[in-house]
Amino acid sequence: MFRTKLGGSNFFRRLAVFFAILGPGIITGSVDNDAGGITTYSVAGAIYGYGLIWTLIPSFIVLLVIQEMNARMGIVTGKGLSDLIRENAGMKITFFIFIGLLFSNIGNTTTEFAGVAGSLEIFGVSKYISVPVTAVLVWFLVVKGTYKIAERIFLIFSVSLLTYVVSALMSKPEWGAIGSAIIHPRMEKSTQSFAMVIALVGTTIAPWMQFYMQSSVIEKGLKMKNFRYTLIDIAVGCVVTVVVAFFIMVACGSTLHPNGIVINEAKDAALALKPLAGRLASQVFAFGLFIASVFSATILPLATAFYVSEAFGFEAGIDKKWDEAKEFYTLYTGILVISALIILIPGAPLISISIWSQVLNGILLPVVLVSMILLINNKKIMGTYVNNKFQNLIGWTAILVLVGLSLTLLFLPLINS
Amino acid sequence: MVSLTTFYLSGIVGKEAFGADGDAIGVIRDLLVNAVPSGQNDPNQQLVTGVKLRIRKVSKFYSFKSFRVVKAREMLSVICTGLTELSSDEVENGLLLVENILDKQIVDMNGRKLVRVNDVRLATLPAGTFAVAVDIGIEGLLRRIGIALPIKRILSLFNISIPTKFILWDDVQAIDHSNLNIRLSKSYSKLHTLHPSDIADILEDLGKKSSMSVFSALDEEKAADVLEELETHAQIHIVENLPVNKAADVLEKMPADEVADILDELEDEKAELLLKEMDRESSQEVRDLLEYPDNSVGSLMSTDILSFRAEVTVEDVIAELRLKKPEPAELYNLFVTETNDVLIGTFDLRDLVVAEPNTLVSNIMKSEPLFLYDNQKVDDIAELISKYNLLAVPVVDSDNQLQGMVVVDDVVEDLIHKRRTKKR
Repeated sequence: MFRTKLGGSNFFRRLAVFFAILGPGIITGSVDNDAGGITTYSVAGAIYGYGLIWTLIPSFIVLLVIQEMNARMGIVTGKGLSDLIRENAGMKITFFIFIGLLFSNIGNTTTEFAGVAGSLEIFGVSKYISVPVTAVLVWFLVVKGTYKIAERIFLIFSVSLLTYVVSALMSKPEWGAIGSAIIHPRMEKSTQSFAMVIALVGTTIAPWMQFYMQSSVIEKGLKMKNFRYTLIDIAVGCVVTVVVAFFIMVACGSTLHPNGIVINEAKDAALALKPLAGRLASQVFAFGLFIASVFSATILPLATAFYVSEAFGFEAGIDKKWDEAKEFYTLYTGILVISALIILIPGAPLISISIWSQVLNGILLPVVLVSMILLINNKKIMGTYVNNKFQNLIGWTAILVLVGLSLTLLFLPLINS
Repeated sequence: MVSLTTFYLSGIVGKEAFGADGDAIGVIRDLLVNAVPSGQNDPNQQLVTGVKLRIRKVSKFYSFKSFRVVKAREMLSVICTGLTELSSDEVENGLLLVENILDKQIVDMNGRKLVRVNDVRLATLPAGTFAVAVDIGIEGLLRRIGIALPIKRILSLFNISIPTKFILWDDVQAIDHSNLNIRLSKSYSKLHTLHPSDIADILEDLGKKSSMSVFSALDEEKAADVLEELETHAQIHIVENLPVNKAADVLEKMPADEVADILDELEDEKAELLLKEMDRESSQEVRDLLEYPDNSVGSLMSTDILSFRAEVTVEDVIAELRLKKPEPAELYNLFVTETNDVLIGTFDLRDLVVAEPNTLVSNIMKSEPLFLYDNQKVDDIAELISKYNLLAVPVVDSDNQLQGMVVVDDVVEDLIHKRRTKKR
């Protein structure tokens, strides 16, 4: 989708065939389980055991509602979310959203490279080799136009994320305890557990996914007539996201939590699984992490450069020459280079970077969602396909909850200090 | 004395307009421009005729005649000497700069592409205030956020200037008319001068509503050419959303093989509806083509061909060509048939041109021509075409009756598509 529709005449055809095999919802759901997500789920499982698994249920509902709105907007208007925001929300809000998106995604991409570095260290590769090599490969992959093949390969490999199911089963989970933890949601009233809940929701519903979802739907050329199939596709994607998250939390909750092992990044989870669940489980975990990280490290910088360019009216697309789309390429290369460099700085504050990019996500998400819900209720834009009362109720409730969560996240450090 | 004040739309929108006595009257929400002929072969100028003013929470349009934009010490102020409300007619005939232009996509006629408008540059001349150019550069973006000046100052220390980019109004075609009832064909007049491929690219980049309204404004011939150039899913969107009779009119103007390709993608009922609406001759050709399986020569061939009898003269052939004025691709290869349409030879334009007018076609034609069967696989075509350097190959059915021809353009398109599919 990152070639412009302008001039990239064959591009739709390529995408059409590609998406005919895998729908936008499923792809979005798979990209959602990136290094940041895997880290957060692992850490949550290690610290709280099965205690926070219940958060996946509200996350699932909100994710479903939001992606349905994105799909509907994309199909009805044929316009990207960046375009719609720019045309209707004015320049200042647009500027805020997209500069925020730019910074938070530099942070997110850094997290992806941390995932690359961490997972390959399990296999004995130094990060000073793995990160630059991956960054250069990713850059060439995209600029040389073979990006779509790569996306498909990654997607197939990301099935390896389902091996978390195996890891989880190997760890002999107590299903009774899991069941009761879900039925009786509980939350410690500590700032730490609160922050963890926000991180879990925030990593599952990242703002940039909304832009990604809407563009995918447009490029697939879907129609409102077949909207129920799109709904199924979205539901399957959300289920994939949540199922993988569930099993990561179960795996870490069954092995690490009872032994009191505290971890800080996904790599630690892979390392810690080794004595408890065996060498194979550890390597499978690391492999899944690696694939997820490279996948997102390919898509994130490209998507970000594309949406920022679209909103600000720069020429964008990998089918353009460097001179035609200077801003786009500068942004794309810049995001990749900065993120990779941060990882290579010895003693870089990786955990703060990851937390701060999530904070930024948290602030952006309600702004993006409010813009979305205003757009989708605008009759001039959506005609008869505006939200009904039920959709608005769920939509606004989700927004209020998320705003509440984001505000709490913002003020938590202040209260703590 | 000639006074010239230039300013930006972003500089006055949202600002208060002041009365002659210095009292604030209302907030400026939008400017209305109308095209006025400037005489002497000059293109139309965009005169600011109205201003949307919000006075105590009510927004109305007033004539700009009694408004003046003054620049004193780099500060813009708008002075108003009287309020004359505009009729809704006057408002509907114009273009709103904020609502229809600012932040919207417009067509840059020089670059033949869509660009997004960051700001509009206006100038006050003795004759009135005019919209002069649209700003699509980075400076315009920064100005909108209100940080252009400080950034400019900082960058000037390092001898860097912010890139500016303007498009003169003559080279601008506005697209978004969603709230105005201007006659569409008139309002998109500039687009008609573009090549169909360029229009197709622009349509693909537009939202669904805008692409429909731009397409509907094209005349049938142009519309058919543009539809041919569009990507499959854009074609389907257009055909499905046009009124059936209008869609049928456009499809009649297109080559039958292209129409068959589009109808193949539509639902059967819709396709049938369109075929019934088209004139009998066109729809029969399309129906025949739709019968062919996907990967056969028949599905790719064009049925727009010219065939002649062996006993007519070169002069007769040329006279008929002049009469029919065929499309360029139809002239790639000309055919000679017997009764029952059996193919007996081919000739081309060169053969025709170098021959004496009274020569018989039987004397210039290549007999025993190369041909393809309509049920052959598509893969066989490329080899034949490249081996014999052909532009078009005749296609016959099992009784050797001429059915159509395969043109090199379609083969190339098919090959590119296949290679991509494999590469992917």
